Order: sequence, then C-alpha cells, then structure tokens
Amino acid sequence: MEHQAAEAAAAILAGLKKAGIDFVATLPDEKMLELIRAVERDTELKHVPLCREEEGVGICAGAYLAGKKTAIIMQNAGFLNSCNALTTTSLQFQIPLLMLIYYAGDIGDRGFTTLGSITEPVLKAMGFRTYVLRHGDEIEDTLRGAQILAEDSKRPVAVLLTKSALGVK
Amino acid sequence: MQRYDYLKAIAGDAGDALAVCTGWAAREWWAVRPSDGNLKTRTLGLVSSIAAGLAIALPRRKVIAIDGDGAFLMNLCGLPTIARQNPGNFLHLLFDNEIFEASGGTATASRDCDAVTLAQGAGYKHALWVHTPEEFRDGFTSAWKKNQLTLLAVKVEPGQPPDLPPLKLDELENKYRFIRYVEATEKQPILNPGFDSKL
Repeated sequence: MEHQAAEAAAAILAGLKKAGIDFVATLPDEKMLELIRAVERDTELKHVPLCREEEGVGICAGAYLAGKKTAIIMQNAGFLNSCNALTTTSLQFQIPLLMLIYYAGDIGDRGFTTLGSITEPVLKAMGFRTYVLRHGDEIEDTLRGAQILAEDSKRPVAVLLTKSALGVK
Repeated sequence: MQRYDYLKAIAGDAGDALAVCTGWAAREWWAVRPSDGNLKTRTLGLVSSIAAGLAIALPRRKVIAIDGDGAFLMNLCGLPTIARQNPGNFLHLLFDNEIFEASGGTATASRDCDAVTLAQGAGYKHALWVHTPEEFRDGFTSAWKKNQLTLLAVKVEPGQPPDLPPLKLDELENKYRFIRYVEATEKQPILNPGFDSKL
C-alpha cells in the first residue's frame, strides 16, 4: 500500500509539472501524506506550506500576478474554509487556480460523510468545473486538462482526489 | 495623525515597489503614489497574503502590503506562513485605527491586543511600533535597505482627506494593468492567450 501511495504521489507530482505548475501551496490530509512529502522533497516547485487554506488562495493569487502557475493542495474542509477568498479574489479578479482537493467523505470513506455530501454541491454552486480522479492512469491527462481549463477560463478548477487515485485505504 | 499622513511620508521612497492595498487606504495610496503597480484587494484579510505571494514569486522586487487592523486580525493564520518563507523584499505596513473603518466604524479587538507582539510571536524577526511620520519613514527606508521582512505598525486616527480622487479601476482593469506593469518592469512575459500556450 505504501508503495502504491508513493507511486501515485510521484505520478501526481509529475502531472503537475507537465501541466506547467511551478508554485504549490499545501495543507495536509493524512490520505495525502505521500503527495505532500513528494512536494516537500521536490526542488523545482516553489512550495508554500499553509496554516489555513484561505490564505493560500491569496498567496497563489499574488504568485499568479507575478507569473507563476499555481496549485493548492488541500482537503475538502479546507476548500470550504476558502470559499470567500475563492469568490472575492479568484472569481472576482478572474485568477486561475488548480485545486487538488482530497475528497473526504467520498463513497466508502468513513467519518466525513457530512463533509463529503456537500463538497460537490458547493463546488457546483460556486461554478467551479470539477473532475473526480479515481484511477491512477487518468492523473496526467486530468491535471493537464484541468490546468488548461483554469488558464483559459481564468477561474479555479477542482480535481477531487479519491483514495483509489491516491493509492491509499 | 491619520493614515494618509504616514502614506505621504513614504510615497517618495516607494520607487517601483509593487503595492497591495485594502479598504479606504487604497484611494489614499493611489493619490500619493499613482502607479499601475498598485493593486486593491477585495477579500478582507488577504492583503498580506496576496502581497506575500508576489514577494515570494519575485524575490528581487520590493513588495509593500498596506494592511489595516481589521484585516490583520482576520488573517492571523497568514503571519506564520509569511514568517516561515521570510521574504526579505516584503514590507508589511499596518495602520491601526482600532475600528472597522470601511464597514461603519465599530471597534476591532486591536485596542486590547498588540499587533507587533502577534507578529513577533508568529515568527517575524523584525516588527515594531512607530509613532511619527518621520519614524515611519526611517523604519521603511531601513527595512528596504536591509532587505528584511518587517512589520511596521502605527496607531492612527480614523478618517481621510475629503478631496481624494476616486479610483476609476474595477478589479479586472486593475489586474490587467498590474500584470502588464509587472511584465514591463520585470521584462518577463506573463499573460498569453490560450491559443498561444505551449500546454
């Protein structure tokens, strides 16, 4: 399992780079541990570890204005924490952001069903195009495609990371 | 003394620094330092985080955040993140009038807490209160020369001059002009239409 998680993390990191991402803000979830570690170890990406997700939306917005291609990695609870910034900074100024969101409370995930049940409705209500990533072989195309959408629409785009995509139980 | 008196004191020293403002301070800053390198934010609290993102992405460019006590207290989580990155090119200016001025004037918590102590606790190695426009200017130019992350905080009276010119930019025009200004002054392409992208 650990091996699978490390492989998935490496594939996601490689996918981010192929999508042109060079600036990543993160706040961990246990299920994304290998991914966060891979981002930490990487020497090409600029990594900004966060204390709360909403400030990360601001940091990524500033970095975008300076020419960076930005992504934020967070749990869906963190996405909910960020809704005002995503509205009054990302949407209002039309700033792209690739959001990799761990889908806590997804089908089969214990303990977070309340969070899971409102994640996609809130993403939809905010107008964010959303892709649920379930298979490792979809990682590269999905991240690249989502970043193209983010850049061209100048809006945040969400990729929901599930346990199967992350190679974890 | 009002915020405007302090902004006037440093406007001539700000050069081509990128400046991120919020609330009523934006109109004042534009009046004393008109530039496409000014950005007015809309999310209360995020002025310091947006400015930090710029400073981290452009480490050789001076970046100024013009923060207020309401916004500062709303984004305390952002302070350790900034301190951890420790961008020396980032000057964090805090104008503390102890009220939510743009929201009607009710009191913030800043009368009973100390912003400089909060910043120091968050990891800012340089954070200080100043008390006059002269001290403010000295602190500003010193932090600029030493290239060290600094919170420069000052207590101010609420209010602003009545005859400031209105801001004529909406968020999008402000953004595009800001990015084009960064492109021109950094000699670095940033925006390109999708059909011209390599992705």
